Amino acid sequence: MANKKWLSLLGLALAFMLVLAACGGNGASTDEEPADDGTDEAAGPQQGGSVVLGTSGEPVTFNDLYSQDTASSDIIKLIHASLLESNEELELVPMIAVDLPEVSEDGLEYTYTLREDVVFHDGEPLTAEDVKFTYDIFLHEDYTGPRAGDFTELESVEVIDPYTVTFILNEVDASFVTRSGYGILPKHILEDVPVADLEEHMEYNLDNPIGAGPFVFETYENGQYIEVSAFDDYFDGRPYLDKVTFRIFADTNAELLAFETGEIDWMILPATEYKTAETYDHARISSVLALRYDYIGWNNNRAPFDDVRVRQALTMAIDRELLVETIMDGRAEVAHAPASPLSWAYPDGVTEFAYDPEGALELLAEAGWEPGADGILEKDGEKFSFEILSNDGNVVRRDIGVIVQQMLGEIGIEVEARQMEWGAFLDRINPPNYDFDAVVLAWALALDPDPTAIWHSREIENGLNNISYVNDRVDELAGGNKQIIDQDERAAVIGEIYEILAEEQPYTYLFYPEQHMLLANRIEGFTHHPRENMYRLNEWYVTE
Amino acid sequence: MINYIIKRVIMMIPILFGISILSFAIMYAAPGKPAILNLDPEISPEVREAQAERLGLNDPVPVQYMRWLGNVAQGDFGTSYSRKIPVTDMILERLPNTILLMASSLFIAAIIAIPFGVISATRQYSLTDYGVTVGSFLGLATPNFWLGIMLIMLFSVQLGWTPVGGISTIGADFSILDRLHHLILPAFVLATADMAGLTRYTRSSMLEVINQDYIRTARAKGFRERRVVYKHGLRNGLIPVITMFGLMLPTMIGGSAIVESVFNWPGIGKLFIDATFQRDYPVIMAITMFGALLTVIGNLVADILYAVLDPRIEY
Repeated sequence: MANKKWLSLLGLALAFMLVLAACGGNGASTDEEPADDGTDEAAGPQQGGSVVLGTSGEPVTFNDLYSQDTASSDIIKLIHASLLESNEELELVPMIAVDLPEVSEDGLEYTYTLREDVVFHDGEPLTAEDVKFTYDIFLHEDYTGPRAGDFTELESVEVIDPYTVTFILNEVDASFVTRSGYGILPKHILEDVPVADLEEHMEYNLDNPIGAGPFVFETYENGQYIEVSAFDDYFDGRPYLDKVTFRIFADTNAELLAFETGEIDWMILPATEYKTAETYDHARISSVLALRYDYIGWNNNRAPFDDVRVRQALTMAIDRELLVETIMDGRAEVAHAPASPLSWAYPDGVTEFAYDPEGALELLAEAGWEPGADGILEKDGEKFSFEILSNDGNVVRRDIGVIVQQMLGEIGIEVEARQMEWGAFLDRINPPNYDFDAVVLAWALALDPDPTAIWHSREIENGLNNISYVNDRVDELAGGNKQIIDQDERAAVIGEIYEILAEEQPYTYLFYPEQHMLLANRIEGFTHHPRENMYRLNEWYVTE
Repeated sequence: MINYIIKRVIMMIPILFGISILSFAIMYAAPGKPAILNLDPEISPEVREAQAERLGLNDPVPVQYMRWLGNVAQGDFGTSYSRKIPVTDMILERLPNTILLMASSLFIAAIIAIPFGVISATRQYSLTDYGVTVGSFLGLATPNFWLGIMLIMLFSVQLGWTPVGGISTIGADFSILDRLHHLILPAFVLATADMAGLTRYTRSSMLEVINQDYIRTARAKGFRERRVVYKHGLRNGLIPVITMFGLMLPTMIGGSAIVESVFNWPGIGKLFIDATFQRDYPVIMAITMFGALLTVIGNLVADILYAVLDPRIEY
């Protein structure tokens, strides 16, 4: 009797769950498939349809002047339009400007002529006044955003006529033109908001951003998704897609699962998941070299890394080819200098240190390091022993630490590979602590190759030169590089800096990684930009 | 009774006060700065410094605490560092999702655990009893995140019955069925740990009741066993179980943090985890205090319920 009861209860519970699963399942499958009014034969781009893109970050603001995370800037790029943008070759090309700026003889005036057919999403035309309004905010003393220091060379912005605007600098700055990529804000909406309040003016920044970009902001559900729709009056033609949805995930694992089940159509593919994604029938992988390099930074302020011979020996003892083969599955290039091969400033040839453990030992012996009784190198009774730090959650960097530990162990150097939580990790490697021996990290590079921020000695105390690298010649060259307008001349100066840095090995430059994007086969018109995730989404279309 | 409640409510104040000091101290002792100061290395140190100054992060911790306390006294939990909107808005935005998840999981836990507990008690030392015992310990021992991932692999990826996460189908209009469809897995996972405890609790409570004199009397009167157990026994046996619900509430916020992260459920728990990694102090403090408040209120409600349900208890 009681047995029956038991069974019926269990049955009830199961039935309850199945009913839910079944009902919901129907709902999802009908909703998930976007209505596509295109025909089956893929004859060129088709209008209509929608895509769902995966993202693992929560956007903060859709105002370009205050954004400092990729989740925000990915969407900003869709909503807003800027004077110039960079193409997939990393060259600056006009966007709402008719052409590249006209630069005056003395290099202090940049004049842009604007297209006259650009309108904001509310129908108002975008004019030189809006450009001035936007860039004046950077110059305002109440500006609270992250770019305050970037515009010290900008003296003023002048409106010449409704579609011509001139930027006047107080000092020659060859990198200035790369700052023409900020999304132009609508003056008619924001002019009454005090600059001091603009950063927290969420009414515009988050709830209703109006730009002149290809897509119109629709909704943002915190923790869930962001939706944008095609802007019919976009100056470069209406985007093919009707709707684009960004779905927010907690991490890339969840994203990949959703991709596998067809819930999303696009995601950035971590190198570690490449093999898994290769097996998908419904998707393809696009790869290009990313504008970045991975490295091991040696604390130049700490013995024994203050000796250039030791640093060179360490590089020679690390088999970077093998690292690329094992950790990156061959999808990276060994690096020799702190610059990307994609950059125009990348030098033709710099000093290269090949894998040579014997040579490393010789160099170390020269520096006074000899094997002790236990096989560990010693100098003045001190063992060659240090800790190599990386942040947890990053499998690639963890593996680099472990493999380097083994490689250096083979020539008698004792290494402990250690991982720390990101916040605590930054605390140790950043000013004022600098409490580390060696660190595995990577730099994503800016469009302008100015090396000052990382390599100038004045950036040690409070900047990005956290390995305390000092070289007077580098200081001198870096200090003046932005005043050289001629790109070839400037490339030569920057090239000399790279040569010194390649010779002195303040970092061991590991590799230039590829960047992968995973996209559903139904997506066409995709262009892979090495630096931007959402490049030319207005040219995407779907085939069903 | 009224006096007792008043006394208890007054006692909550120093408790919450103590919790706030402790959590503030621990939060600031942890290494790492708010993410807003760490983001984007291209941003110049001067700008970061100005930001830290504006947020008051350069002040000594006691000063920061007093400022926080002063604002909280006026009902202001501050503005999130990372999202720049009031923390109260953020919590209110996420709270309904968490409540829905917790309520569903409590419901699932109750409808599964209580019957199992009763059956287990009435058939003590039988095969069923052992089965239930083993099952509930398994449930207790299985980590939520692992179970969550396994169920996603099975039901979402292999069978395609449920979505891999999130709260609703993107782009679809709101529908209750769609919400339940997204809810079922996370609610079930969150329920498993509580189910185990609840089953054991129901079982022992029922065992105690079944051996009471009045049950024996009922049996002696010739009532059928089922009526004896469910009519006379269950009512009394459930008293301690119901009070347990009050105590389960705050622990579920902790548990839901993990489940919400696994299933990408945009609730308080996930907000808390994100805030912790970003060192978003105002958000961390607000959620901690919210959890603390729930705990003390949960305790109070449990005690009051106990008194209401069991007239033998006096205060």
